[in-house]
Amino acid sequence: MQSANMLLRRIVRCSALPFAVQHGMKKDLFLLGRTLSLSLCLKQDKSCEPSEKLDLDEWKKVMKSGLQEEVSETASEPKELSGLAAARETLEMWRLAGRAVPENVSEEQLKTFMECPSKSAKKKYLKYLHLKELHKKNDKRKMDEKRERRLEAQDQASKTDETKNCPFVCLWSRTMDKAYNWRAAQAMVFGQPLVFDMSYEKEMSAREVTNTVSQIVMSESSNRRSVDPFHIHFCNFKDDSLYHREFIKNYRDAWDKLLITVTEQCYTEIFPKDKLIYLTADSPNVMKTFDHDKIYIVGSLVDKSIKRGVSLARAKRLGLETAALPLEKYLLWSTGAKNLTLDQMMHILLTLKDTADWKKALEFVPKRKYCGFVNKPVKELKKTLDLINTLKLGKGQEKVEKQFAKNYPKKYKIKQK
Amino acid sequence: MALFSQISQQGFQALLWKCHIFWPFSRCQQLFAVSLGIPNREKINSFSFMTSSSTALSVDPKETDVLPTEKKSKIDCKEGEGWDEETKEIPEGKFHYSSSVGAAKKWSMSHVLSRHKFSKVQPPEKPLQAEEWNKLREDFQSPEIFEEVMLNSMIRCNSPIDVAKSLLTHLAKRNGDIAYSVLVKYLTLCVQQGQVSEIRDVHDIMKARFKILESGAYSLLIRGLSNSNQWRMALTVLEEVKKIMIPSRMCYESCIKAASHHQEMKLAFELYNEMLAKGLVPTLDVLQSFFDFSRGMKGAELQKELFGILLYLRENQIYPHKTFMRSIKLWFESLPGGNWRGHLTNVKDSGQCPVCKHQLEESNLTEQEYSHLSERIIRDVIHGTDTFRKTSPKELEAFQTFVENRLPFDIVIDGLNVSHIKSRRMQCENLLDAVNCLAKENARLLVLGRKHMLMNSSNWKREIMKEMQNKADFFFAENISEDDAFLLYATLRSGKHCRFVTRDFLRDHKACLSDSLTRHLFRKWQRGHQIVFFPSADGRSIKFLPALSYDCVVQTTGDTWHIPYKDVFEEKYSYEVPRKWLCIQQKL
Repeated sequence: MQSANMLLRRIVRCSALPFAVQHGMKKDLFLLGRTLSLSLCLKQDKSCEPSEKLDLDEWKKVMKSGLQEEVSETASEPKELSGLAAARETLEMWRLAGRAVPENVSEEQLKTFMECPSKSAKKKYLKYLHLKELHKKNDKRKMDEKRERRLEAQDQASKTDETKNCPFVCLWSRTMDKAYNWRAAQAMVFGQPLVFDMSYEKEMSAREVTNTVSQIVMSESSNRRSVDPFHIHFCNFKDDSLYHREFIKNYRDAWDKLLITVTEQCYTEIFPKDKLIYLTADSPNVMKTFDHDKIYIVGSLVDKSIKRGVSLARAKRLGLETAALPLEKYLLWSTGAKNLTLDQMMHILLTLKDTADWKKALEFVPKRKYCGFVNKPVKELKKTLDLINTLKLGKGQEKVEKQFAKNYPKKYKIKQK
Repeated sequence: MALFSQISQQGFQALLWKCHIFWPFSRCQQLFAVSLGIPNREKINSFSFMTSSSTALSVDPKETDVLPTEKKSKIDCKEGEGWDEETKEIPEGKFHYSSSVGAAKKWSMSHVLSRHKFSKVQPPEKPLQAEEWNKLREDFQSPEIFEEVMLNSMIRCNSPIDVAKSLLTHLAKRNGDIAYSVLVKYLTLCVQQGQVSEIRDVHDIMKARFKILESGAYSLLIRGLSNSNQWRMALTVLEEVKKIMIPSRMCYESCIKAASHHQEMKLAFELYNEMLAKGLVPTLDVLQSFFDFSRGMKGAELQKELFGILLYLRENQIYPHKTFMRSIKLWFESLPGGNWRGHLTNVKDSGQCPVCKHQLEESNLTEQEYSHLSERIIRDVIHGTDTFRKTSPKELEAFQTFVENRLPFDIVIDGLNVSHIKSRRMQCENLLDAVNCLAKENARLLVLGRKHMLMNSSNWKREIMKEMQNKADFFFAENISEDDAFLLYATLRSGKHCRFVTRDFLRDHKACLSDSLTRHLFRKWQRGHQIVFFPSADGRSIKFLPALSYDCVVQTTGDTWHIPYKDVFEEKYSYEVPRKWLCIQQKL
């Protein structure tokens, strides 16, 4: 310990100068640190025995003296706590211990918490609530700041009171909404149908359903704002299902005024079978072009735990044609699952419909999932990629690479998919 | 070591970096020592089955001062990211009560992020006066979390508790109260150093101050107390925990170890059974401690309990590791008047124990188990939630009639899997080799494939396919169907003599089975019936590893015990089983 210390100090001494020159900015901090350390050393040298004045157990006295008052307050010892109260207490203690626990928990949330099947589920749920709370707080803070700024601006504006002459008609959002709705109404009559298959409720957890609905709401709004909207169908939609309840939560009164078709019927009953194409990432067929005469079906399914082949199975059962987006063909895929969210899907389909340009359409695939667009077949690029990787790995890895190459002459695939 | 303020520390680091002078070796060693500063009786609990004492904690070289060359193991394209930051992440073992909440998000709890930035704070070596603490606090970048960071680094460096006490005293004087989280951290430090009187004091203070505590503090208290002569207090704390939650298995474990350490075997087994009843999985460590502490003890009751543990290993197909195995051996040999003798041995493929010439149990299932397993394969693996996911009802029916008409097969081959064995050759040639190899002894073969194999392509030549179909039965599934499930079903339906050939570990199919009992059956059956192959050294032929004829589980005949054990600490592949056995026999 001491020797290391000495060595360090020596290093400091011999190299403090160049360092200080290099980092003029940090100089003062650095010197401060040095003085601090040295002064402490000096102190330690002076008094090697712990100072007499310091009573180390004083904190206990303080705590206990503080307790005397507290105990008198809560003289009645708590009886056996009921389940909810006990859970509340536990949460409070966890919060004090610095875990991710929300400050305020409603009765409903507590019940959900108690119903969590495992410890890890409980932990996750608490973390989720905690983050939600933080978001809420931050939003509130931002709103307050904004309000203050606005008031200030108003004050200033009232001082410099002058009438503005604006040559443009101000398009209020209401006017915009009317225009959008007009378009959507046109789509209801003449637009190309796009089906959302609402039959996956059983496959999802409640939270996944919530996510699905919020994604569909986003898709619907982006569809409404597009130049040439689809005519959206929600098929296999059961009244009073979880989907329905979530939609009501999202849209409130607007739900009945939406310009889309919601039906309990299956898409096979509404449209001719040969026109339907079920879009699913598991499909063996890759979509080459967007067909304006076909009716595309998107499964309203969020599968956080990737459930392979659920929607493909549905299409197989009904004997429908299936297709997958040509992600492999146009993108150099890096990580992540190839199932996209519903709103991304919507954006891609809308763009294809308007432009038929794959490159533009696939802009909506999250950037983290791919390295870049491909204009050559991927197989040719694979070699370059490998080369780049090998170069990146440097010389130290060459041995490993060779070893690897010996073991696996080609990439070993367990299954041919 | 001198005390540096945070910034200067970083300055040093940067400086040392620039000058290409690395930390003196002693410093590194110190870090290691600190990171391992967990007393031997404790253990780092990271696997479900973990041994204590004998396992040294391996410290990843990446976790100390890293030279950039060592960071190159990352293949992703983050060029240069993190190469210059010399974060010294020291494994915190179990003492990790941090809540890393969305550290990547700037808006939330920025100090979580800083926790790592400040991990280099050096705690002082001597208790400090209040004003000194104040000064340090002011020099610190974010004073509001100064105590937390300081105590964390004390825990990491295993500082003397007097230093921590002086900090607490300073806090108490300043605020008139000490936060619960600080108390828990102090408790961690005390437990780490086995300061029993302090643990008791903290316990009293906490009890008086708070109505109930939370799991972290409880488990610390239990651990701290059970390692002392006050271990009975740990039991009372355990009772408290039971009132509000299910205690963690670590709590039980500490109490069980304490009880058996003090020769209270009855109590220890009561706790153990209670733990099992609550659905907690004991670690191998606690099972081993039973054998260790009952060495040389008399009592039929006790013996029965310990045999019960061995049967628990059998039922759950757990293989003890080497030290555990040794404990079992020593316990057997120490039984008074038992005349047990243990030998280590390797069992050959024949399944005969070389020491006592006893034939190990066959790996075959009973008729009932066979039918149960094939039913489950059909129900869970093939049908699952939707028959169309892996096949279609029509195809399944066709396959079932196909199999029933041609039963029984001797070997069922996963055609596509075998065809990939040597990538330089045509896939159909690979398959032909395998079929020729296996068809020698007049065996009835079934090859499962997909329909695309029938299309004449560069990999699948029609005439070769024709040739093969004379030697074996073929079933071609749809191109988008799963063929593995068919493989399992056909093999099971053919009965106990039938084997199957694939390199697949079949883990995803095992995972489809709903209950653990069936999964164990599946594993057992897989071990005894899967033939694994690999290209032989000369590269011309294929070598097949025969399936095991005996079952690799703990087994007994009353006067002999055979216990397979693992040499290393890794999950074996499902078709690999330990070949090393402990053979124990009773000489009467």
